[in-house]
Amino acid sequence: MLELVDLSKKFHQTYAVKNMNMFIERGEVIGLLGPNGAGKSTAISMMSSLITPTTGDVRYLHKSILKSPSPLRKVTGIVPQEIALYDDLTAEENLAFFGRIYQLKGKALKRRIADVLDVIGLTQRSKDLVKEYSGGMKRRLNIGVALLHEPELLIMDEPTVGIDPQSRTHILETVQRLNTEKNMTVIYTSHYMEEVEFLCNRIYIMDQGQLIAAGSKEELKQILSSEKIISIQVTNVKETFTHALSEHPLVNNIKMKGKEIKITVDKKANLFPILIHMTEEASIELLSIHVETPTLEDVFLHLTGRALRD
Amino acid sequence: MIKQIIKKQALLFIRNPMQIVLLIGLPIILIFILGNALGGTMDGSSSPINAKIAIIEHQSETKQIQQLLDETNGEPINEHTAIGMTPIQAFTSLLQHESLEEIITVEQIPLEQKQNALQDESYTAIIEVPPSFTYDLLSHSLLEKDEAPVLRIYENEQQPIATSIVSDLVDNFQHQLTLQAFLKQQSIDQQALAVESSIFNATKKTINQTNTISASAYYTVGMTVMNVLYIASTIGAVAFMEKRMYVFNRIIIGDISRWVFFTGVLFSGILFSFLQIMIIFTFSWTVLDVSWPNISDMLLVSLAFSVAVGGITVLLTAVSYRLHSETITNVFSNIIVVLMSFVGGSFFPFGNYSSLVHALGTITPNGAGMTAYLSILKGESFMDVSTHIIYLVLFGLTMTVIAATSFPKRGQSI
Repeated sequence: MLELVDLSKKFHQTYAVKNMNMFIERGEVIGLLGPNGAGKSTAISMMSSLITPTTGDVRYLHKSILKSPSPLRKVTGIVPQEIALYDDLTAEENLAFFGRIYQLKGKALKRRIADVLDVIGLTQRSKDLVKEYSGGMKRRLNIGVALLHEPELLIMDEPTVGIDPQSRTHILETVQRLNTEKNMTVIYTSHYMEEVEFLCNRIYIMDQGQLIAAGSKEELKQILSSEKIISIQVTNVKETFTHALSEHPLVNNIKMKGKEIKITVDKKANLFPILIHMTEEASIELLSIHVETPTLEDVFLHLTGRALRD
Repeated sequence: MIKQIIKKQALLFIRNPMQIVLLIGLPIILIFILGNALGGTMDGSSSPINAKIAIIEHQSETKQIQQLLDETNGEPINEHTAIGMTPIQAFTSLLQHESLEEIITVEQIPLEQKQNALQDESYTAIIEVPPSFTYDLLSHSLLEKDEAPVLRIYENEQQPIATSIVSDLVDNFQHQLTLQAFLKQQSIDQQALAVESSIFNATKKTINQTNTISASAYYTVGMTVMNVLYIASTIGAVAFMEKRMYVFNRIIIGDISRWVFFTGVLFSGILFSFLQIMIIFTFSWTVLDVSWPNISDMLLVSLAFSVAVGGITVLLTAVSYRLHSETITNVFSNIIVVLMSFVGGSFFPFGNYSSLVHALGTITPNGAGMTAYLSILKGESFMDVSTHIIYLVLFGLTMTVIAATSFPKRGQSI
């Protein structure tokens, strides 16, 4: 359905996106993961025809959209990271305004507004000004606007930033329902690994403007199939201890979070006696120890050397 | 879609009462304040100069005349001629004439209060009439006796303009008195030299024989052309907010041409400027009685001026989009509008005093609009305002073309 071919965007001397290749089949939910500044929003802007790439191509149904973006635009709904709504208009007025952008009018527009309000659960509040809405309600309406023209492709750029868990669940369930019931193709970017794990069939991981991994959840976790993660909790963390640990030949990677240390080692490596010896030597009390199954977060950490929300 | 953009803008205005107060209420308040505060100065009905004069008479003028009549036994002065020769009374009457009442206040004070009056800074001048002044003056001028008496005038140095006016009035009066005495000595009838006042029966007109403009009318025009410029910055700011909040991008992705959006902003600027002008003019017509001698000309000027403001609106939008910053809109509303209003004559007709300011004023859209409106109020012909109408339309078109060339093209926005 949509294809990105060697896509690059350069701002001044810096590549925001470099040599990005990607394909999206109809009905798929694609996750685009990456920390802030990874280039996700620039990639989305290019694939939605908003900005022109420096090099490369975006193809919709095998045709380049660079010169004629209309076919793609007509079937695309975009949910930006920002709340792209008028605070001083009601939900209904916002939907009516954006509905006219999508060439909807008259009864068809009214019907779509009612449908969308139902989907996003705001029918009861449709005549309230948006500025009176909670953050979660605004996010839902932000999504609603993109659904007005029943798009084939829905591009969502971090649609759940800064909202309450209830609204977040509502949004995730709505996206999933749209995909299963209407076979809507979704490109979903997020900071939240659990959202991507919940929604997406395939995941692309971006860092510093480049795709560094791609595949299904299982395929990505296979990257860590030869490794395991030992998570320990200690009374206090000493630099001598962490330094010795990271320098140990059996240890591939360590990650600290408070008094918890995650140690990536080869699957067959037996680190327990070494750990006990090292904690004793450093006069650190070992509170707990357990082996974890790799998550996408661990994969991301392994690939980029930093956590997703760093 | 353009209609939707305008409708959306109208809803945003309606939902922001503070904005309406600033765009409509503020100019109306300013018209009231400035019209009343500067009204007198502008239409000549009041004066910033206020001279307070005290007259101290040592001796009753009537008694002095009676004394003179008694001494001369009616020759050459009889009772009839003497009545017309009361210099101090005549001078006091002159100072109290209705044409001078806005400028001069006269107080007759007794001799005992002379010292207090001299200490009082509020007096512009104190005129002391010495004993037997009238007697001596009449004796000197009519009987050619004695020395001419001297009138003593104490002037307040802190009020130089007012004192010079008083001084001029005294000089002029002295001249008139001398002339009068001469005519009497030569037995020439004063009436023969008088000009019949009824031959002057003109209405109040300016030097160009056009209608005068009241302060309310002047400030209705001045405040309107100034405040309409804020429509440009207000809509420009909304347009930038639309970019910052991704609304503009959403419109683009909705496969609407950026030129549709651009035209929507232009038409919003034109329409809301026109509406603002009409609301303020309707108010000033109903409340302040500022009526237009030629409504169609006024509507044409308003439309042309709205086109100019529409041009500024899209220019501000385009530049802020290009620079990714709202600074230009803020600079325009906080600094440029004030400067343009100053040179355009919204606050005071400074152009009357400086040709440079006048020249600068006429190239600003508000200045050109103001000149055109004032021409209509003066009752000038369409030919007199047509140049300004053409200029305003060309100004608006030029701004629109510049805006279109600097508006981000396809693929440039993010």
